Amino acid sequence: MNDQTYPSRSGWIAGIIVTVILFVLPVFLGNLGKTGEYWIWVSTEMIIMALFAMSLNLILGFGGMVSFGHAAFFGVGAYTVALLMKKADFPLYLALPAAPMVAAVTAAFIGWFCVRLSGLYFSILTLAFGQLLFMIVFQWYTFTGGDDGLHGVPRPEILGPINYYWLCLIIFMVCFLVIRMIVNSSFGLTIKTIRENLDRAKFVGINVRRYQLLNFVIAGAFAGLSGGMLCELNRFAQTEFLHWSKSAEPILASLVGGMYSLAGPAIGSSVLIFLKIFLQQVHRSMVEIWAIFLGVLLLIVVLFAPQGLVGLYQNIFHKSRS
Amino acid sequence: MTWQLFVFMMINGLSQGMLLFIIASGLSLVFGVLRVINFAHGSIYMIGAFLAYSLSTILSGQSLIGFLILLMVVPPVIAILGLALEVTLFRRVYREEHLLQLLLTYALVLILDDLVRVIWGGEPRSVARPELLAGSVDIFGMALPSYNVFILVVGPMIAIGLWLLLYRTRTGNIIRAAVSFPDTLGALGVNVSWVMTSTFMLGCWLAGFGGVLTAGLSNIDLGIGMQTIIECFAVVVIGGLGSVGGALLGSLIIGTGLTFFQLPFGRWALVFPYALMALVLIIRPWGFFGKPER
Repeated sequence: MNDQTYPSRSGWIAGIIVTVILFVLPVFLGNLGKTGEYWIWVSTEMIIMALFAMSLNLILGFGGMVSFGHAAFFGVGAYTVALLMKKADFPLYLALPAAPMVAAVTAAFIGWFCVRLSGLYFSILTLAFGQLLFMIVFQWYTFTGGDDGLHGVPRPEILGPINYYWLCLIIFMVCFLVIRMIVNSSFGLTIKTIRENLDRAKFVGINVRRYQLLNFVIAGAFAGLSGGMLCELNRFAQTEFLHWSKSAEPILASLVGGMYSLAGPAIGSSVLIFLKIFLQQVHRSMVEIWAIFLGVLLLIVVLFAPQGLVGLYQNIFHKSRS
Repeated sequence: MTWQLFVFMMINGLSQGMLLFIIASGLSLVFGVLRVINFAHGSIYMIGAFLAYSLSTILSGQSLIGFLILLMVVPPVIAILGLALEVTLFRRVYREEHLLQLLLTYALVLILDDLVRVIWGGEPRSVARPELLAGSVDIFGMALPSYNVFILVVGPMIAIGLWLLLYRTRTGNIIRAAVSFPDTLGALGVNVSWVMTSTFMLGCWLAGFGGVLTAGLSNIDLGIGMQTIIECFAVVVIGGLGSVGGALLGSLIIGTGLTFFQLPFGRWALVFPYALMALVLIIRPWGFFGKPER
């Protein structure tokens, strides 16, 4: 297993090049008219979902905790932004920071129970809480709009498609660096130790539950932020954001990209979204069978490349390292 | 509440519970022996329901025979589908970590659910009940829907059949041994991998059987797989993972609970399974009849 998350010099250069390209991209796309605008929207969604996938990977890849209820925090973030902006007339610069905070509080409550369990039972309890929250949002018509969702979330005038893209990109870059800092800190190392050997971690005097809870809350906060960002992008929040099938999305992204790396889930998520849109462009009917395509891809990854794209890349280019 | 209403709701709740038991017991059996939580169990059940619909249009039967043919033909077909899945896919991941197993079954959910949509389309379907079961029967001077009573008769038969199979036959001994000591069982000359395959087929047979019964009870649509698998999780968690007796208790609690809570709480009753599931996991993670894992 390769836990190298400090990039080498070539990694830094690649990172800077990718960042520059990402910043210039919308200027280029903006000149393409309608299709360009559509692709800016797609790119923004990719950035947001990449953050969502990275947030999950904090507990999944680095913490070894398989959560099937991560969409709960994503959805809570989205509904926080929608409710604050629609019903309380909050401006975006106050509503968006509120999303991770409310999500973190929710995660603290749910996590407090969940970290007491391990393995499969942890997964099922996160699933139960996630579905519980989904059902509450689904049923509470007067507050959340039920299965209609909340539509018409206002957008500040200065945030056109390109500006919103840049805003999301900047947030993503900051979050990426913060997550990288967390993963490489002593906290991150402790989390990885717990993943590798729970009993030994206990023996050396680590308060396992407290570390897992803290990690769970941090992951929940980032998920909430990404949920809030998606809500503002689409200008609606819907119950589907909290459903357990939404929780599966970042898991698939992490698996496809590679779980034990920092950028893997972000890459996996972007690749999946791109594939879906690409198939849609090739032929409209391809979207009908997107789930079949995704399922088959997933089967192949599970059976033949459980380390994901990043693992494949490392196997091909750095054979000697492992 | 008058006692007539009470009996009526009880019959309704218990029959729902029995139906849930038939499906969830399959999930629980498979988990007990294979140690894999099969997300695709709901999709397999859904295929059973839609297959029953298709077959019923061919048989054009409101006759009892036609319905019995559905019950005889569809579950074995689903079991054969299970055989194919187990041999080609599940078998490869028994020694992998939980996450990869879960993701394999989730991949199957994506594929199978979409296949159902491509083959049968999105409209709700249903199977016409045979005339004998379409009306109502008089019990204690009350008219009860006879299809629900039919489920109430068939459900316990399945439960007793499973119990006899597991505790009174050599096959059952082998299956139970495979739950506790698969290696020892193998050393005694039993083909463990074949035991696993047969158990998986039995689980799928039960899912198919539940599918046929559901198709006669209510409308079936593309959502029933996802909805049922979560309800099955709740059942299995409450009863204890891998315990068939626990699945019976869990199903009856969920079935009657859903029905009775609908009176005071309306649609909010749907929250009940998840709340109970979370509560059981917090207080007693291994469920009523399960054993704590090392």
